[in-house]
Amino acid sequence: MAKSVHMLDSIARVTGTVPYTANLKLPQMLYAKVLRSWLPHARIVHIDTSRAEQMPGVVAVLTAADLNQPGGPTTFYGVQHKDQPIVATDRVRYIGEPVAIIAAESTDIAEAALHEIEVEYKELPAVYDEIQAMQPCAPVLHGDYPDNCFRHARLRHGDIEVGFAAADEIIEEMYFSPTANHVTLEPHVTAAQWQDGKLTIWSATQAPSLVQQVIAELFNLEPEAVRVMVAPLGGGYGGKGHIRLEPMVAALAWKVNGRPVKLTLTRAETFVTVNKHAAAIHIKSGVKRDGTLTARQVTIHWNGGAYADVSPGLVGSGMLRSIGPYRIPAVQVDSYGVYTNLPPAAAFRGAMASQGTWAYESHSDSIAHRLGIEPLAFRLQNLLVDGDAFATGETLHDIHFVECLEAVASGIGWNTPLQKNSGVLKRGRGLAVMMKSTIPNSTSQCRLLLDDDGQVTLFTSTVEMGQGAHTALAQIAAEALGVPVATMNVVGPDTAQNLFDTSTNASRSTFMMGNAIINAATLLKQKLIEAAVPLLEHPPEELSVRNGVVCVTEKPELCFSLTDILRRNQLTSVDALGEFQTRVAGLDPETGQGVSTPHWHQGAGACEVEIDTETGKVAILRYWSAAFAGRVVNPELARLQNDGNVIYGIGPALLEEVIFDNGQIANPNLSDYNIPAFPDIPHNLNSVSLEGESGEFHGIGEMTLPPVAPAIANAIFDALGIRIYDLPITAEKVLRALQNE
Amino acid sequence: MSNATLKVNGKEYRLSFSPHQTLLHVLREELGLVGAREGCGIGICGSCTVLVDGRTISSCLMLAVQAAGHDITTVEGLADDEKLHRVQRAFIDHFGFQCGYCTPGFILSTVALLANHTNPSAEEIREYLSGNLCRCGSYPNILKAVMSLSDSEV
Amino acid sequence: MRFLQPGTLEEAISTRVDNPEQSVIIAGGTAVVLMLQHGLIAPEVLISLEKIPGLDSIRIEDNRLHIGALAKLGDVADSRLVRQYFPALFAACAAVGNVRVRNQATLGGNLAEADYASDPPAALMMLDALVEVKGISGTRQISLPDLLLGFLTTTLEPDELITGVIIPIPTEQPRMAYLRYNNRSSEDRPCVGIAASATFNDAICTGLRLTVGAACEIPTRLSEIEALAVGSPLTDTRIHEIAEGYAAGIETIDDLQSSAWYRTQMIRVHIQRVLKGLRDG
Repeated sequence: MAKSVHMLDSIARVTGTVPYTANLKLPQMLYAKVLRSWLPHARIVHIDTSRAEQMPGVVAVLTAADLNQPGGPTTFYGVQHKDQPIVATDRVRYIGEPVAIIAAESTDIAEAALHEIEVEYKELPAVYDEIQAMQPCAPVLHGDYPDNCFRHARLRHGDIEVGFAAADEIIEEMYFSPTANHVTLEPHVTAAQWQDGKLTIWSATQAPSLVQQVIAELFNLEPEAVRVMVAPLGGGYGGKGHIRLEPMVAALAWKVNGRPVKLTLTRAETFVTVNKHAAAIHIKSGVKRDGTLTARQVTIHWNGGAYADVSPGLVGSGMLRSIGPYRIPAVQVDSYGVYTNLPPAAAFRGAMASQGTWAYESHSDSIAHRLGIEPLAFRLQNLLVDGDAFATGETLHDIHFVECLEAVASGIGWNTPLQKNSGVLKRGRGLAVMMKSTIPNSTSQCRLLLDDDGQVTLFTSTVEMGQGAHTALAQIAAEALGVPVATMNVVGPDTAQNLFDTSTNASRSTFMMGNAIINAATLLKQKLIEAAVPLLEHPPEELSVRNGVVCVTEKPELCFSLTDILRRNQLTSVDALGEFQTRVAGLDPETGQGVSTPHWHQGAGACEVEIDTETGKVAILRYWSAAFAGRVVNPELARLQNDGNVIYGIGPALLEEVIFDNGQIANPNLSDYNIPAFPDIPHNLNSVSLEGESGEFHGIGEMTLPPVAPAIANAIFDALGIRIYDLPITAEKVLRALQNE
Repeated sequence: MSNATLKVNGKEYRLSFSPHQTLLHVLREELGLVGAREGCGIGICGSCTVLVDGRTISSCLMLAVQAAGHDITTVEGLADDEKLHRVQRAFIDHFGFQCGYCTPGFILSTVALLANHTNPSAEEIREYLSGNLCRCGSYPNILKAVMSLSDSEV
Repeated sequence: MRFLQPGTLEEAISTRVDNPEQSVIIAGGTAVVLMLQHGLIAPEVLISLEKIPGLDSIRIEDNRLHIGALAKLGDVADSRLVRQYFPALFAACAAVGNVRVRNQATLGGNLAEADYASDPPAALMMLDALVEVKGISGTRQISLPDLLLGFLTTTLEPDELITGVIIPIPTEQPRMAYLRYNNRSSEDRPCVGIAASATFNDAICTGLRLTVGAACEIPTRLSEIEALAVGSPLTDTRIHEIAEGYAAGIETIDDLQSSAWYRTQMIRVHIQRVLKGLRDG
């Protein structure tokens, strides 16, 4: 099946006509602007919106005083902890937190009206660091969590004391990964309209079904009363993966009552809306002189920002994603999700695995170096293989870490000699491997509809955000139905007509929605075969669907085209629904033992870098990545994912850090916050997608990203003998480390 | 309000807008030409690239009044009826995009590059397009697309 | 806000004089539009210089290169004259921002903005350029050290406009270079920019001009250090001495991009690279 079909809406993409939510214009539409807190932590003493409300062109001003009214939205939401107010109630907890939202005839008017709202604050002490926030005297953000820890995920596997006692060497290190921002070029944007007790929401979100569910609950409506529509996104990367602007825009639309209202964030506002979790990771390993791992203890503090958002779940995923794909008899992990007075954090492409891999794969090289073992050999000696048990106790299947690592090592020429020293410029090579769980329990549903013109329409709630999901899913449907891809149409998320899907997150769509489509196609084919029975005068078990016809399997010349079958049955269309679910046993909350994921995401990277030892600047000369794809649907789109991940990963590895100054973001713009540009990426960039015998789809949206930073750091170590512990690896850090040698 | 005539994609539009409005705002909100997009708002990302007298500019950093009297080309002006511009075609052929938000900017920058330089090398292409950012990381494919149009590709 | 496009310099100046507090001059607009959009300025009148004829010319007159204030940075970089006589200015203008910025931003606007993280001012200072300024009481020519006061601040009077830049063409063509160093992405503002020119008689250095920009509040030229180069060969030791002199003599900026310490290191490293490049031809 693997075929590099062009993206279905390629022409729209090159002619500028993709209907992004950012382009949305509705009749009578109002424009929204948000008044945000300028203090990191404060009591709201008083809000006066009267002058703003009286301004010509201002239609509505929403504050917390409007919430919790009969028929309107309640105040608090949150996927796991309902700790976040739609707009601040009596307290603000980070700089940039929404305090009021205005709907006006134009953005300019709304903007001007912001200045007419008076807010009196009484400042409170604040805390920003995830470790300090858990100290006994730290300011408390939410009364229910006096130590600011909203989730402590634990894993206890084997006897850690015995494991360390059995070790010849113990290597203990601390790694840091800072806050970073997704920088979707299309900012967060949401529009909403409240009419006759029903809400319509147009949002650039990766999670239409979740938005519908959360908003319905917030407004105490039946889910059917909330319609969510999602156009293709101008980038998501996890930043649009959960609830973002929808509650406040929906609440404002409710107050406006009738006219639609749209909120488009400025670039600076996106930086106070959602970020990557900063993480402080303590990792300690026991190892025998022959390279056998005996124990590993990991303690992570994740900076969740002021509201838990999806962090409680992610902190659990982060626990799993910080161990590494190695056989270790004794493992102990403590993963703490911590409130601080910073903007909320959530999934960032390679969620939690990027931070975890940064630590455990840098650490792998530190161990190998201590033991005098070659880094690839050390990994190969300890990597998990099929049938091994992971630290959760679950038995692993479809495991290809060794192949991934060997593919990138071979690509980079790991065993060929490298001329390391040429004066000022020094070269080195490094590699890294990663494992990532996916969402344990999730559901995808879809509908396939064949019409009497022979067109097949896939109705799916999977969001197209550049990953090419709609194209790959259309290919899966076409193959499963035995029709040409050219007959496929895809109708994207609209909860009024499409079925449920957990979300377009965690690289799950090809696997989950792909299987739902295969199931729908099987049903649809059965229906077609049944409809063909009277025409072909053969029993259903003797018929099959192939190449756009139903035929007698043994006599393929006896056939009717699908459109003929419909017409002869006087049907204008025939459809079928498909569903695919994963349900795993889950983990014991005290020990982290059990089954955590339906399958594992696997990836690796290897690179060659050149460092200017006078400036500390690192150039990546060559990079090879590998992802285990299970089964590749569209090789070119798969390659774009693999390469795109590496390029995306170069940002947090070398350039990106959201810098806070007492809770205030100092660099919320693309001048001060650099993302990778054309000249910043390796000229020699290659990737492989590995396939497995099982033929099961594995998502590849993130797999080659987490290895990027540690592979680069390991190459720097190879070249210079210096170890960088905190990202990003700036030229200045490298130079300082060199001078401290 | 300013009254001005903007010549966009060969057509003249008599418009009235506030003089502080950017060219980007007027193209999108007044003319519905949404191929130019705001990404960073400070001239760095290139999503709002348009051609003014054949040269690329950031339409977020130019006032609409400044553009009056000049020839403005947006991505909507490239295709000839149904026939795509060769640069657009090359971007499709080489899978030179993912989310597509930055794509019109890259395409217009490529059009400007090739207008003055029919055979750019890979290095020249990287350098010229360095001011267009693609967060999805389609750079290698974009390079292939542009190289396919360069005479130097033999 | 009104947008005015005077047709003459005199008209532009008198409009400015009539609205001293409420008006802002706009050339290419890359800086002014940014400030407008972010609410950092809210003038009642924008005075555009675009319709004033001849302000964008690049020509030689009296053995001096005249660059009009409205010449785009990209046009300066593309100018045959600039490339021939002042390759350091070519390199500095070609290094600014991205293609789009260079297509829109002007040389006069660049100087008037007085942003430290910029390339052309260091090159112009190194070249002993004079900035031609016109005001209500006439025209004056001032050197860059006399124009640039500090962060986003110049000595321009409210009625004064930059009309152009004048660079004397040296009798003997020196070797010349501008080296920009970015410590983060290729699209970053410069961390440090070094403009240098040197003349040699055989191996003996007969003159050195060296300016450091982007690393300090205003571009810096240290004549007593430059003088160390003159009269002897530019040995590695001598180059090192010059680099140390600049590193020690410049108060570097500490900002989000890099620390003052790092910029000092980069001044030392890149001066050596530039000077070795000039020496080795």
